[in-house]
Amino acid sequence: MSSALAARSALNARLASTFTRRSLRPLVVHARSVSDDAYVPGGPIYRGTVNDPTTFPPPSKSHGSYHWAFERLLSAGLVPLTVAAFATSSSSYPLLDGLLGVSLVMHSHIGFDSVVVDYLHPRKFPVLGRIMTWTLRATTVGVLVGVYQFNTNDIGLTELIAKVWHA
Amino acid sequence: MQSLVARQAVLRPSALKSSARTFATSSVRAQAVPTEKPVLKKEFKIYRWNPDEPAAKPKLQTYSIDLNQCGPMILDALIKIKNEIDPTLTFRRSCREGICGSCAMNINGQNTLACLCRIDRNASKDTKIYPLPHMYIVKDLVPDLTQFYKQYKSIEPYLQNDNPPADREFLQSQEDRRKLDGMYECILCACCSTSCPSYWWNQDEYLGPATLMAAYRWMADSRDAYGAKRKEKLQNELSLYRCHTIFNCARTCPKGLNPAAAIAKIKLELAAD
Repeated sequence: MSSALAARSALNARLASTFTRRSLRPLVVHARSVSDDAYVPGGPIYRGTVNDPTTFPPPSKSHGSYHWAFERLLSAGLVPLTVAAFATSSSSYPLLDGLLGVSLVMHSHIGFDSVVVDYLHPRKFPVLGRIMTWTLRATTVGVLVGVYQFNTNDIGLTELIAKVWHA
Repeated sequence: MQSLVARQAVLRPSALKSSARTFATSSVRAQAVPTEKPVLKKEFKIYRWNPDEPAAKPKLQTYSIDLNQCGPMILDALIKIKNEIDPTLTFRRSCREGICGSCAMNINGQNTLACLCRIDRNASKDTKIYPLPHMYIVKDLVPDLTQFYKQYKSIEPYLQNDNPPADREFLQSQEDRRKLDGMYECILCACCSTSCPSYWWNQDEYLGPATLMAAYRWMADSRDAYGAKRKEKLQNELSLYRCHTIFNCARTCPKGLNPAAAIAKIKLELAAD
């Protein structure tokens, strides 16, 4: 291994990594040694030479800590919100019922989005990943519209659950 | 032969003089038969893949060794196999005492260091040894850790401070020093990272528990002044936030460390930022 590493660093970086990878796993297709190249499943995932550190995506709090904090607060907030929605749903202004509907949909959107990022990230699945991302967005919007219709024109979410519960 | 007989004849009078002592020791020696340990054969099934025959699929090869003629740890068994049965078996090892992290491998479904993992002496069950899961394999039990080391390098694992004290070393309170306990002991064996499903699926972007714990080790250091920069690097959806608190890292760590706790603290500090 150490001799392989030495050989790699001594030679031209890109050439060397392609070479060594090829000798290691000749069954798979190799294409990527810099970040612009497409990701090949089963292929090498190195960028640059073995001595270069990996790079980071551009920092963005809305993709990082804000997203995480919002997700956690939403999850924790759903517990009291659910109780409150059931307590107030029989009143004539079931505002919390609507809020619960929106929060639940957002909560599940974030959850499914996490699944897409984990398993079908567009960097690995440029077509399928984008299709799934947009399918999820469309579904979320559709469900939101449905919940709005149901809560304004019908009995509403909590009433329905209460009915089913007692049925 | 004749000379031997002659010598015995000469020695005999002196032997008779201390007859009591000679009698006692020789009788004990006569009874002391070297105890033959029973043969305790155990099967080891070891992942084999040879880069020289790339078309051949990886296979499990079975080796049977006598546990009573072998040291107590899995690494002893591997070395015994390599010495006595199959010199082509390839694995990394160095310190044989859990401080170098070379012999990290998957033993009976658990990532651990072979030198710290006792052999199960139940001979009816075989022991399966694989390389670290979901890594490119160089040969047999040797995974390619290049990406792992590149990621470790990316978090700049060294003290960064533009205003060092002019005349002396950095001083640190005992409480500040205590914050590093449980993190500085990491030996980068990659057991935790390679046990993490998130790292399996996204190891080109997600840093993994070992690297993240190393990152927090420098964020938590009172002498380091680049905490804000270190945190900003992780502000994206992949580097840190692919951790879904699965806790495989804390469960598998052969050094008993808790990378999951370090990651949780990073998340908390980033959220409080």
